[in-house]
Amino acid sequence: MKVLFLILWPMAMAFVCWGIGRADKPLRNVLAIAVGWVELLAAVWLFLRPDSGGELPGLCVLGLRFAVDGFRRVYTLVVAFMWFLTLLFSPAYFAHHHNRNRYYFFNLLTLGATLGVFLARDLFTAFVFFEIMSFTSFTWVIQEQTAGAIRAANTYLAVAVIGGLVALMGLFLLQYRLATTELSTLHEAAAACPHKGTLYTAGACILFGFGAKAGMFPLHIWLPKAHPVAPAPASSLLSGVLTKSGIWGILAVSCNLFRDDAAWGTVILILGCVTMFLGALLALFSIDLKRTLACSSMSQIGFILVGIGMMGLLGRENALAARGTLLHMVNHSLFKLVLFLCAAAVYMNLHALDLNEIRGFGRKKPLLTAAFLLGALGIGGVPLLNGYISKTLLHESIVEGAVHYGSWLKAAEWVFLVSGGLTVAYMTKLFVAIFVQKHPTRQQEFDEKRRYLTPASAAALAIAALTLPVLGLGANRLMNGLADLGTDFFHPGHLEHAVAYYSPENLKGGAISIAIGAAVYLLVVRSLLYKDGVYLNRWPKWLDLEELLYRPLLLRILPGSFGFLAALFGENRISAPAAKAILSAAGKTAALFGENKLTGPAARKGFRLAGWLSRGFGDLTDAVVLLLGKTVLRQCPPPSDDQVRHSLPYRAGALLDRRAAAKGRAKDDGTHYAMLFYRAYRTVKDTTRAITGNLSFALLMLCLAMVFVFAYLLFFGK
Amino acid sequence: MNSVFLLLPVCLPIAVGLGIFFLKRHSAGLISGLAMGATLAASVLTWLLIFLCRQESFVLLHLTDALSFCFRFDSLGRFYAGIVATLWPLTVLYAFSYMAHEGHKRVFYSFFTVAYGVTLGICTAGNLITLYCFYEMLTLSTVPLVMHNLTRQAVRAARTYLAFSLGGAAFAFASVIFLVTNGAVGEFSFGGLLAGHPYERSALTWVFFLLGFFGFGVKAAVFPLHIWLPKASVAPTPVTALLHAVAVVNSGIFAVMRLVWYCYGPTLLRGSWAQNIALGFAIITMVYGAVYAVKEGHWKRRLAYSTVSNLSYMLFGILLLTPQGLEGSLLHMAFHSCMKILAFFCAGAVFHQTGREYNASLGGLGRAMPVTFTCFTISAVALTGIPPFNGFVSKWYLLTAAAECGTPMAYAGAGALLLSALLTAVYMMPNAVSGWFGRAEPGSLDTIREADWRMGLPHVVLSLGTLITGLFAQPVVQAAAAIAAGG
Repeated sequence: MKVLFLILWPMAMAFVCWGIGRADKPLRNVLAIAVGWVELLAAVWLFLRPDSGGELPGLCVLGLRFAVDGFRRVYTLVVAFMWFLTLLFSPAYFAHHHNRNRYYFFNLLTLGATLGVFLARDLFTAFVFFEIMSFTSFTWVIQEQTAGAIRAANTYLAVAVIGGLVALMGLFLLQYRLATTELSTLHEAAAACPHKGTLYTAGACILFGFGAKAGMFPLHIWLPKAHPVAPAPASSLLSGVLTKSGIWGILAVSCNLFRDDAAWGTVILILGCVTMFLGALLALFSIDLKRTLACSSMSQIGFILVGIGMMGLLGRENALAARGTLLHMVNHSLFKLVLFLCAAAVYMNLHALDLNEIRGFGRKKPLLTAAFLLGALGIGGVPLLNGYISKTLLHESIVEGAVHYGSWLKAAEWVFLVSGGLTVAYMTKLFVAIFVQKHPTRQQEFDEKRRYLTPASAAALAIAALTLPVLGLGANRLMNGLADLGTDFFHPGHLEHAVAYYSPENLKGGAISIAIGAAVYLLVVRSLLYKDGVYLNRWPKWLDLEELLYRPLLLRILPGSFGFLAALFGENRISAPAAKAILSAAGKTAALFGENKLTGPAARKGFRLAGWLSRGFGDLTDAVVLLLGKTVLRQCPPPSDDQVRHSLPYRAGALLDRRAAAKGRAKDDGTHYAMLFYRAYRTVKDTTRAITGNLSFALLMLCLAMVFVFAYLLFFGK
Repeated sequence: MNSVFLLLPVCLPIAVGLGIFFLKRHSAGLISGLAMGATLAASVLTWLLIFLCRQESFVLLHLTDALSFCFRFDSLGRFYAGIVATLWPLTVLYAFSYMAHEGHKRVFYSFFTVAYGVTLGICTAGNLITLYCFYEMLTLSTVPLVMHNLTRQAVRAARTYLAFSLGGAAFAFASVIFLVTNGAVGEFSFGGLLAGHPYERSALTWVFFLLGFFGFGVKAAVFPLHIWLPKASVAPTPVTALLHAVAVVNSGIFAVMRLVWYCYGPTLLRGSWAQNIALGFAIITMVYGAVYAVKEGHWKRRLAYSTVSNLSYMLFGILLLTPQGLEGSLLHMAFHSCMKILAFFCAGAVFHQTGREYNASLGGLGRAMPVTFTCFTISAVALTGIPPFNGFVSKWYLLTAAAECGTPMAYAGAGALLLSALLTAVYMMPNAVSGWFGRAEPGSLDTIREADWRMGLPHVVLSLGTLITGLFAQPVVQAAAAIAAGG
């Protein structure tokens, strides 16, 4: 029942907050924080005293069911903690924003939906909440309603909808082949299922859907666009929590359906390596604070995916990989909380995120400096902080895999180390720019800003930052304890021996990354990306997967191909040729009979009479319509609609005209192809309409049907 | 209750409707009061009969020894009658407000009420001949509603509608004749009437089945016979909402259900090339309608193309010829009616309050009409098939049915369904998004008000219906499952 409370409480309070917010804004802010606080208490309660989950039977067709285990407890706590801190930070950040009521309403709805994903017992329940979460978080991205925000939000929505539908297809296949989507039974059911091909297809679909949310390559396109435009507290949740819900889905498949499956692991590992490296590279080139952090999120998701991939590859010896994956998920959530809150502090004072404009803002601000530094060192994997622990575990697992699989995992190891190095490099770039360098003109003004945070937001930032060294220093107790909790969900093999995090071997791995980072920073950033005191954006503009591939594919090529089909069989062109052919055939037959066979005057009279009758009959129904219009209903003046210029023939003609003019062969008498084509088109269209719109056409159809009936009765009837 | 009472809900609206038409002196209040009274009375009667009526037939006339004009209220008829009887009073309420400033109220309410009785006649028809008669009457009684504005466009649309419907019915008639001459003259029976007749499983049967399918398919807007539907969206919104998203088009679907499941029979048709051809057209229509909806710039026409696409989901479900398929199809019939009528109501409310009817002109209207746009957003999300709304439930059942059927055609249909669901998001979401987040000209929203309660109430009721039937779908699912199991 605790689970149901955790999910339904914020969803219900969203409506209350919205109602109160219409009357009293400060009260709404306090209430929202209180809701977050109660949620956090409930999460702590669940963490300490777990129960067996809960169920909402019959809801949404199959019923919604929830489970509780170690991993779910940890993540519920992380989610509630992050949400509480961002809610605490929000009043200061949104002080001068519009549409705050909308933000709080959807924020609390998203909280409930996100917990619904993490606590779901089966994939179906997870999917239901995942979709709700996608749509409610859409309002975060579009919150500012600038042109950029709307474009980013459209991308986000498109990825969410496509991802959701593909994941749904995967769920169908699973439900169809295994008759279950419950995580605890998936493994046994899959082992007994002979249709491996279907299972892999289903897995790929689910990977696509959840991977899109996680920001996995090549579906990462929404991530670097959505994070910078969303309000910073929301970006920290998007990056820290919502991407993890995508990871949850990938884990659910990897740890159950494809437990210890090396082929599956290989695919995830490769995708993870690409995501990890590409994200880090994008982050290095970015000169926007929040975009850098967003790309960094993508890169860290890559690290997590590497862990998941290694879990598959290592089979029953995957304990290290599983622990590293879980810890890196938790760590990354906390890093991004701290770093985005720092970005929020910068943005709410300067309303800018470009490194060249915010340069030097952090000088003489000890709290901000300390918080950012802790976050940067943590994410960079510097010893004594928590990021080092999880990265060491992941690195260890790759080293162990290299023993089994040989040289190609060596390559993966180097990608891992280089990406770690790039992480150090771009975090150094950010830190130096904001906290060390001076702004060329506004430094004085920046230094005088002492009250850049309200007490509540400062507290939120401090609490968030303090968790990192606490976790890092308590590595053996806290981190190992957290990792132990993951066994029910990850189903790892047995852990052979405890890991000595600070052994020389492991410290070497960290040192290599830091050395690479220092080299990259000095050689690449300072020489290539920073010239004459200005940070330059050297990433080529055209090199954007979305602009290069997805948008043209979805908006041009797909509709174009359908448009082509439609033009072939399209509107208004369907019935015309057929009707004409039938008419002319009928005419020919009549002529045949009329001219050659039946030339007698009586016959001719008969034919004429029949002609009159049928015409009269045909016009009769038209007359009814006309009569109705003249008597019962009054005729209104016709509208003037001039769509000439937008018609295809006109455009095609205009094109020809232009070519002719360019070649100097324009006609002197003023006739243009454009009008010529358009007139021809009009004639065809009018004729068609006259045919299809006329009741005679209906009668023609009727006659045709009667012919069928008579033919049938003549040849087949009794 | 005895099934003689079935005549009551059928005849009452028809009689009152004709009465309104021939009223000598009339006021707007009297007309709308009469229409509402008749509609409510018929709805209450229908719901009573749904629960109380015995499953026996009532023969009104004997046409020949074997042919009769008879009524019978079986489970399928009850299901459809339930949908119609719920939505009709809401639409009349909406029409009070929408039609307040339109002309020809007498004609409008008269034909609108007659159409209700005729639709209930389709629900309660006991055999194919009776169904066919009501089917033709529905065409004739709705033509004046389509051409209500009497603009050139409206008249043209009405003529197209008439031409396609009459032509289609003629083909359906050929199929009816075929069935009658082969002894399938009795009442509808689940599983088909044709077992053991001389032409069983011959090409002749398939040809006449296809004639019937496309004939009734005109109202179900199957490609390439869908052309009338988008054109007909020039009619006043209550007409487009109720008739062109629910009553008329669902009557087409209903007739196809009767034809496939109760006349020819699924066992006979299964695996024939006729099934594949019909399925093929349904699959093409799913995608075709959605693509054209994306392309369309006019809000109501866009919704009409969306209806074209969604109706083919139902045809697809029927033609899978499995009980699960029929179940999914019935669910989609019920849920789609609810969602689509809601979407049309919202579009109509915006047009009524602001005169804006193109997708591009909606920027920022959500702030002036929050209730309307909240409801439209709900219907957009539901139509896309996002849980927890009801569109998700029916799509889930349709896709499961396709997967369980397992033929290549079924898989193609499942793919088309997903593609068209994606396109649904593409054509529904932009209107909602631009309503909420788009830019409005400064000051242009100042004079715009939310529609009055008579429009607002149906919005809210239907939105809640969309949510509640999504969350607690069990009763509807059970009813559909009972029908598909032959109950």
